[in-house]
Amino acid sequence: MQRREAGSRTGLGARRRVAAGKSCSLGEGVSIAPLVPCQRSRGWTSPAPRRGGAAASRHRAGKLGPGRSGSGAGRRGPGAGSSAGRARPGRTRAPGSGPPRGRRGVARRGLISSSAGAAHLEPVRRTPRPPASMPPRLQPPPASGTGRPRAAVLPLALLLSLALQGVAAAPAGAGEPEDSLRRQDPELPRGLLEQAARAALHFVNFRAGSPSTLRVLADVLEGRARVNPKKECQVDLVFTTDRYNPEEGEERLGKCSARVFFRNQKPRPAINVTCTRLIEKNKRQQEDYLLYKHMKQLKTPLDVVSIPDSHGHIDPSLRPIWDLAFLGGSYVMWEKTTQFLHYYMAQLSSVNQWKTNDDAIDFDYTVLLHEFSTQEIKNKALVPLKFPSFCPLILTVHS
Amino acid sequence: MKWILFFGALIGLSFCGREKFFGDQVFRINVRNGDEISKLSQLVNSDNFKLDVWKAPSAFSRLVDVLVPSVSLRPVKSFLKSQGLEYSVTIGDLQIYHEMDSIAGDFPDLASRVKIGHSFENRSMYVLKFGTAEGGRRPAVWLNAGIHSREWISVATAIWTARKVASDYGKDPTITSILEKMDIFLLPVANPDGYVYTQTQNRLWRKTRSINPGSRCVGTDPNRNWNASFAGEGASDNPCSEIYHGPHANSEVEVKSVVDFIQEHGNFKCFIDLHSYSQLLMYPYGYTVKKAPDADELDKVARRAAKALASLSGTTYQVGPTCTTVYPASGSSVDWAYDNGIKYAFTFELRDTGHYGFLLPANQIIPTAEETWLGLKTIMEHVRDNLY
Repeated sequence: MQRREAGSRTGLGARRRVAAGKSCSLGEGVSIAPLVPCQRSRGWTSPAPRRGGAAASRHRAGKLGPGRSGSGAGRRGPGAGSSAGRARPGRTRAPGSGPPRGRRGVARRGLISSSAGAAHLEPVRRTPRPPASMPPRLQPPPASGTGRPRAAVLPLALLLSLALQGVAAAPAGAGEPEDSLRRQDPELPRGLLEQAARAALHFVNFRAGSPSTLRVLADVLEGRARVNPKKECQVDLVFTTDRYNPEEGEERLGKCSARVFFRNQKPRPAINVTCTRLIEKNKRQQEDYLLYKHMKQLKTPLDVVSIPDSHGHIDPSLRPIWDLAFLGGSYVMWEKTTQFLHYYMAQLSSVNQWKTNDDAIDFDYTVLLHEFSTQEIKNKALVPLKFPSFCPLILTVHS
Repeated sequence: MKWILFFGALIGLSFCGREKFFGDQVFRINVRNGDEISKLSQLVNSDNFKLDVWKAPSAFSRLVDVLVPSVSLRPVKSFLKSQGLEYSVTIGDLQIYHEMDSIAGDFPDLASRVKIGHSFENRSMYVLKFGTAEGGRRPAVWLNAGIHSREWISVATAIWTARKVASDYGKDPTITSILEKMDIFLLPVANPDGYVYTQTQNRLWRKTRSINPGSRCVGTDPNRNWNASFAGEGASDNPCSEIYHGPHANSEVEVKSVVDFIQEHGNFKCFIDLHSYSQLLMYPYGYTVKKAPDADELDKVARRAAKALASLSGTTYQVGPTCTTVYPASGSSVDWAYDNGIKYAFTFELRDTGHYGFLLPANQIIPTAEETWLGLKTIMEHVRDNLY
């Protein structure tokens, strides 16, 4: 697998590379470009902050940007993999800095992988990652996995990440924590295992990149934590998950094992997590596709201020927006989680949608995050997120 | 036989009305002339929208209050618009007070509405008192709700519980025996200004609406304002913080009203504070990790209550002392109650665990209230059998 040098930031550029067959091959005629930073295409500029200062961000759903060249059968290859962030281009930027965007909420340095998994249903193996130098960064895993030949009639490939595999963030820093293992040391923050599970799940969710495979925490089965003299905290745990949107009568319990590394009171915990597949690949692709189709049919401009409304009601036609926001919000929540602070998505405010000339759907919205234990409500602009293509990854299908 | 069916239908209808109470809105329509009155009558009499006139126009008022079920909100709004009828949506606490009044009216021998004070913005604070004996100071239970205004499920559960207590007295042996020995005081909206603010301006407002001199930030966290390790760990001295404890203990008139009432009464044995969300049932302390003297007993009671709650729909609650179960919190109502001799002091964090959070859908109100009722009864039964 080649690590791509993410030179050109436009979708077009990336697609060309894929079309040229230089991307990592997934086998069976589908290629996914590996992790590259997600960046606004088409020369978008950062929108001016609105609504009381919360900058909104574009949420791009649907096909990737301008230019249609390079896709196999004349089809636009949607990007694959999950990207809820704008990543640093390659390694050229100093860690810790992102493209300045004014509001912190808009600048994102997330590196999201296109994860892809094996077609079978066993828990996927973790791929060991070399520790990176401080601060921890997400490393793209080797893209591997399966795809399937698609009929030319399907406008969109829903070849998003398949099962998760070995998505990992390198643990930061030097060496192993020195203290001996202990279970829930009284010095450790309360509910540390749940904290770690939540962080791991946000990570799993945005890395999976599909609104149809979102998970929530069911139970922590086991775990242990250790603290090093720098008060950094490593948690190893096993937990079960439920589907975020469980279907009627469905009891789909997934299982994850994770190693979570919290830096002392600093956010962006490093996560190494493996989960069993919750939903079969084809089914997920179908569901994602239906979601996309559904969103395409939404009337614009959206006559909506908040989702849910004050009474917790989400109009079924708007449910996909919420799910996508949760996907993007998962990135932000992962980013902000520390061993002391955790988040839930309280509401979407200021959702704006407008049509574009191509098949993509553009969204503009802000999430309100509820922060524990401060009880604060944080206004967070959502990072550009393309659905079902995840910037800047495109799937091309060789028919 | 026919009359059974008729009454059944009537009861069915009113129960149905009760179910749809939450999410409904009360429209205040200004009828300016006879033409508008007839248009409005047309709307009300049409069966489609299931409208309910609360206050009809009279010689003294041209204002009509109409209860509009949530399902009918949109069509009714567009009807009013298309007919040029002026209206405004009345605010939530009025609905609550109307319902409290209605309960007191329906059960005059058991329930009465008592004013205990007012809020910063001068809204009345009402409790419902349930008691079967005149005079005296029977041992009493205090049910507190809505102290954090965005926690709407707490208010909804409280008002449902109020009607449940009243309706089941004389029918359900548990509540009947509880009320034979103790009085129940229920405060459904402990923070009326905040509650109105969540209806009109900011759904996620938590604090009171009191002005903080010298700061642009409004409000104090009323559940950090009680005199129990006031300004300790787990509160903030920054007026802009959601957990700002206020300038001094009981600075918030809403808190002071409750404190004064309870102290004046002098015989409360149980204090339960309803919040959301997280599905937790907790007991003191929040302000310290030190174990409360009665922690073991409170833990046992709480576990039984959580089990009873879960028996209805499987909703699981975690149980434990506040500080280690959720986080440190000083100046809380429950800690104050406990330190002032009210042994059976509990905090409920109701549904859910983060999926909808504060914005719990209306269709979960009744299930939440019903399961919580089982937990509350368990606690009150224990108090009844362990009066001190």
